[in-house]
Amino acid sequence: MDIDDILASVDQPDAFTPQSTALDHQLLTRFWVAERGVSELLPWPAGLMDRTMDRVRRQIEAIEDLAASSSDPYATTTTNNNNNNPTLNLKLSILQTDLSRTQYLVRSLLRHRLSKLSKHSMHYLLLVSPGPSTSSPAQDDDDETNDPHPQDSIPPLPASSSDPATTAPLSPQELAFLHAHQSLLAKHYASSFLSSFPPQLRRLDDNAGGTSMVQAPETKEVVFVRCLVDGARVVVPAADGEEDDIYATAMHVGDVAVVRWEGVRDAWGRGEVEVL
Amino acid sequence: MAFPLPRGITPPEISFLAEMEMVSILPRQRLEGLELLGGPIEPLLPPRRATLPLWLALLLKRQRRANILPPSWLHPESLSLILDIETQHGDTKGAFSPPPPLPNQPSAQEHYQKRPVAIPHYTPDGNRYFPSSPFLPQNVAVDQGPVGEAPRLPFHWLEVGTMLLEAASDDLVDPDQTRRLLKELREVRSSKMRSGVDVLQSAAVGGNLVSLTGVGAMEIGENRGFISGVVDGLRRIGASKEQARREQMAGEMGSGGYGATQDDDDDDDMEF
Repeated sequence: MDIDDILASVDQPDAFTPQSTALDHQLLTRFWVAERGVSELLPWPAGLMDRTMDRVRRQIEAIEDLAASSSDPYATTTTNNNNNNPTLNLKLSILQTDLSRTQYLVRSLLRHRLSKLSKHSMHYLLLVSPGPSTSSPAQDDDDETNDPHPQDSIPPLPASSSDPATTAPLSPQELAFLHAHQSLLAKHYASSFLSSFPPQLRRLDDNAGGTSMVQAPETKEVVFVRCLVDGARVVVPAADGEEDDIYATAMHVGDVAVVRWEGVRDAWGRGEVEVL
Repeated sequence: MAFPLPRGITPPEISFLAEMEMVSILPRQRLEGLELLGGPIEPLLPPRRATLPLWLALLLKRQRRANILPPSWLHPESLSLILDIETQHGDTKGAFSPPPPLPNQPSAQEHYQKRPVAIPHYTPDGNRYFPSSPFLPQNVAVDQGPVGEAPRLPFHWLEVGTMLLEAASDDLVDPDQTRRLLKELREVRSSKMRSGVDVLQSAAVGGNLVSLTGVGAMEIGENRGFISGVVDGLRRIGASKEQARREQMAGEMGSGGYGATQDDDDDDDMEF
């Protein structure tokens, strides 16, 4: 990052100018396409979503005010000039169409995130839980002595779930959903069949025999990307036991390519590629 | 359960994206500027052109409140030029015609026509942001295109073309000819897409990519399931082979032979 970048980032647009509205709309659209395109959950864009929801709320209020003024003849004759009235219905339909389009984007984005969360719920719970490696051996000791329940394998919620840094890729609401969902699921498994199993086979995060029962999303699946800066490189992430990532083929600006998601995930995070 | 659609945006969603493309219109009535959630729109003053998102232009067109000015590529002459490029060029056989350049992309004629250097936008979180389709003016009408530059098909060409043919065919130059040329382009390009499946195997190896530069959004949408299915299937088949190769590469890295192996790998990058 050179000095121009720093100056430009300090000189950010104010959050309520029309330009920043347009920029946020573009960012939301790009994030939606990316979330729909990749197999794993992307980091929750807290600032972007807060701004978008705030704007949606204010836009709904503006539309309601406008609709109220059109249905109230007294208000229209006193406050508006005449050439405004014929286009009022048109304006309302444009504003409502625009609102519905944004709401559709947000709804589709959230629903797709929920479907990813419920598909790999254990994986994401272990991801956000503080220190899963330290807590599980202690629980394993308990398993020998007590009568274990499958619910025990659910990691506890992080203590300060309001702090966005601890809930990394999830929003606080998503974390609450995830925990409730997995608790219900574990209870259901326990009452329907797991309680008749031997105690050592009851855990939902069993990794006996070297295979983990927790399914993670497949990051090697391919995605379609467009390169936005020159020289973004496809990465082969280091496997276990290797230290460095291997940098493979470089892409040029404007190139569209089919590539593994794990190879361009970091470049996506830096905004160098976009998912199509 | 929570969300029934498969991974990757589906064709209706691609049309939804294409409706965000900006087009030029000639309004027939006045309308004051509006603050929309997708960004502000300029006031409409009848003799003046305005640039609006496609969905809004279509809404106005259907109510006969505006005429849409077709983008310069959606013209029989431009389309037949592009069709010539797609069908004739011997050296680029199998590749799609080049897409419109991104703002920060150096063009071939840069040495005598200096482009303005693209300054990246910044997101409120401080990251760099480079706009791309559908938020680039690839479909606005221009009076005088860059002289000597061949017309390019934009990313959402099929969707924008089809929607304009359906809703605004009276605004287009020779809609029947345009429709025929679009259909021919589509056939030529989808046969290229099909003939390119051979190189998909190289994408099944980690770190490689299959280049599809110039492809359209709907063409990706049509082939997404097939391509990702084939590549993922090949990846599962070749997983053990890849593991062995990695170990071999790691071994050679230790003995200093790493550079040679990487050059070999770079050759796997093939064009469609």
